[in-house]
Amino acid sequence: MRIFLAILTYFSYIFIIAMYTIKAAKYLKLPVHLRWELYPVMHEENYQYGGSYFEQVDWWTRIRQKRYLRGFLFLLKEYFVLGEYFQKHKAYWYFLYPWHIGFILIITFHILCFFGAVAMVFGITISSSSQSITGIVFYYAILFTGVVSFVTGAFGSVGLLIKRIYDENLKQYATPLHYFTYIFTFLIFISGFYAWYFIDPTLSEYREFWKGLITFKFIDVGCGAATHIILFNLFLVYLPYTRSMHYITRFFGFCLIRWDDEPNMRGGKLERKLQALLNQKVSWSAAHIKSGKTWGEQVEEPKMRS
Amino acid sequence: MKIEDISKKSEQLITIKPEDLMPLPYPYDTPDADPAMRELTQDQKNRYEASLDGVLAIGIPKPETKEIEEELIRKFLSGLAKLLTKENNWTFLQPLLHSLEYCVKCQICNDSCPVYVASGKQEIYRPTYRPEILRRIINKYLKKQSTLSLKLTGSDIELNWTLIARLAELSYRCTLCRRCAQVCPLGVDNGLISHEIRKIFSQEMGIAPKELHESGTVQQLKVGSSTGITPKALGNIISFMEDEIEEKTGKKIKIPVDKEGADILLLHNAGEFMAWPENTEAFAIIFEAAGINWTLSSELVGYDAVNYGVWYDDFQFAKIALRHAEVAKALKVKKISVGECGHAHKAMMVIADRILTGDLNIPRESAIPLLADLVINNKIKLDPGRNNFPITLHDPCNMVRLMGIVEPQRQILRKICPQFREMEPHGVDNYCCGGGSGFAIIQSMNFPDWRSAISGRVKLKQVLETFQDVISPDIPKYVCAPCSNCKGQIRDLFNYYSVFEKCNIFYGGLVELIANAMVDIEKPFIEWEWH
Ligand code: SF4
Ligand code: SF4
Repeated sequence: MRIFLAILTYFSYIFIIAMYTIKAAKYLKLPVHLRWELYPVMHEENYQYGGSYFEQVDWWTRIRQKRYLRGFLFLLKEYFVLGEYFQKHKAYWYFLYPWHIGFILIITFHILCFFGAVAMVFGITISSSSQSITGIVFYYAILFTGVVSFVTGAFGSVGLLIKRIYDENLKQYATPLHYFTYIFTFLIFISGFYAWYFIDPTLSEYREFWKGLITFKFIDVGCGAATHIILFNLFLVYLPYTRSMHYITRFFGFCLIRWDDEPNMRGGKLERKLQALLNQKVSWSAAHIKSGKTWGEQVEEPKMRS
Repeated sequence: MKIEDISKKSEQLITIKPEDLMPLPYPYDTPDADPAMRELTQDQKNRYEASLDGVLAIGIPKPETKEIEEELIRKFLSGLAKLLTKENNWTFLQPLLHSLEYCVKCQICNDSCPVYVASGKQEIYRPTYRPEILRRIINKYLKKQSTLSLKLTGSDIELNWTLIARLAELSYRCTLCRRCAQVCPLGVDNGLISHEIRKIFSQEMGIAPKELHESGTVQQLKVGSSTGITPKALGNIISFMEDEIEEKTGKKIKIPVDKEGADILLLHNAGEFMAWPENTEAFAIIFEAAGINWTLSSELVGYDAVNYGVWYDDFQFAKIALRHAEVAKALKVKKISVGECGHAHKAMMVIADRILTGDLNIPRESAIPLLADLVINNKIKLDPGRNNFPITLHDPCNMVRLMGIVEPQRQILRKICPQFREMEPHGVDNYCCGGGSGFAIIQSMNFPDWRSAISGRVKLKQVLETFQDVISPDIPKYVCAPCSNCKGQIRDLFNYYSVFEKCNIFYGGLVELIANAMVDIEKPFIEWEWH
């Protein structure tokens, strides 16, 4: 069992990192597209009312101040608030928010368990009465993130399941996979809760388990923690097949599409990329398109009179 | 109605009933205030694919044989496959894939859509409906997912001609206003998906509304303008405008045409020359008064800023964008300035930005910031007292939400219109006039009724609400719409509901208000004559 748990854990972490990396690389390798921005663009000076540099006469002669950090902070804040959902659909937000917080915290919990284990390897004791401040901080941080994630995540999973079943707008577009995901996440959170409440109130088994993974001295854990670890690992393998990548692609979508107001300047890098794209051959077959010719060749010679 | 019903044969997928429509404020708050939408004749129903909602924007003839039908299905699939390749669709591939792959179906975008809300929340107009159909087709017919996978992902759908014909029409029930995209927390853009569906039909199957293609982009490239105005006819129109300016203002102005080396090549939507010459005249009066070195062009395409390709076909779009740049290059102007036309703004300044390279990448800007500069810095003498009537501003989606030109037009109105009031919501949160994405020019069968009763409904509601305290026909009111297509839609919308007669709400552009306030013009420039 201990070997199985260790291999499954190694595998699932490597798998999700590899899959997410491949997916992100695929996304980022897509060719530059025509501009399709949507205002407000957060890095613009007049973002408060959605203004752009087009509001200035001879805009191309002015130096543009882009505040990328503002956009980044805006997106980051949205992760923790989900404000758009709150404004547009409160009843949904009441369940989505705890579910979402459950995710953020459960991932933080596992990361903290890993680093806690690293600290243990370096001789730090992790407990409420540890001699080391680090040990105490780890202890409470792990306990807090773990327990809060189990509770909020389980509540959110059930709530969203019910909402998807009974809300007419959501039901029509819900798929069996939606229901499966909510049940799956419920089991993950509730198994964590069970293990904590009934078996391991200090959550020490997870730290010991991670220490074993780091030092290659694998250990057995109780059935409560084992169940939670297995379910969580399986979930990591399942995640790349869901739309979960949106946690990352949301950043791409906003920065590379919705806020992409980068003008094409003569002789610039962007122009070179565009020229290469215009040299590709197309195969559309409507009568007004010259199939087999490049984009550049589609445009007939201009018929100037002068 | 279930999503997959779109492939099931029936006379009509939905029927729009007047009682389902979103209620309107006074004086349209009675059950009989809504004119009855025209129904298609039996002959039209027999000839065209009209089984979506009994409305026709494209009017696809029914295939005569099973073979033709099958060929159309095959073409649709090949077009869809091309849409997902870099070579054929680098222009929008990344945004398209993002929107196809990352929607979590939370539906919070739904109520932002004016069409969906105005229709009484008809399922087929839901912003997520079209994308869902497309995703299912891709999963089943291009990715060839297994039956189990299709069941799990809820992607089962039957692709047949009924579905395709309905989807074609359905892509013309979205104004591409992108309000839905603006609220999506994940950056998904359902409006873009409508745009991309239109491209499959146009670029692969040769199917598009006549007003956009044959008499739109094709005519523009051939004779010079989608209005049919030829360079010769333009000469006559300009003489007429010069005469009219003199008659109205006493000013003798020679409108510059093909002036080499001018600072500005001013590009108008040619619809203005025909329907609202007072707009182009006002531009001439203001530019003359401010001593601007500008010109119009009489070259083919060079006197019509429109580019309908932006709504349905990347290739037609690129051809026109390049032609505009060529004209400016030949005239050796310093920059192109776009008049009051929202989609031409976006087409020329935003979308064409990554098509025009080298010396065709000529600086392009909106005329509105320049006008704001003239007004704010007192470069022309104005008397706001001449515009002392209630005025509100309509924000064209293309110019505002999609380009961020929000303040300059407001600076002008605040300075010269003492009774200026905002409608709610406004700015980047505005509602489309209902004529976006080509709707305003589509006159096919009963489509104009649909765009008044449904896609323009929220705009009408907004305007009426804004003027509720002065709604009496005794008080003249003005909706300022600095966009030709929006004006066309507002004209049709107001005609449909007799708004001018019942409420005395007039509409017009921005420059007309500036000209109306000019102290050296004796008679009011705005004539309050409905047209
Ligand atoms: S488009 Fe965005 S807001 Fe609309 S359902 Fe999809 S994820 Fe939700
Ligand atoms: S783009 Fe506008 S009309 Fe189209 S679905 Fe979105 S909100 Fe509705």
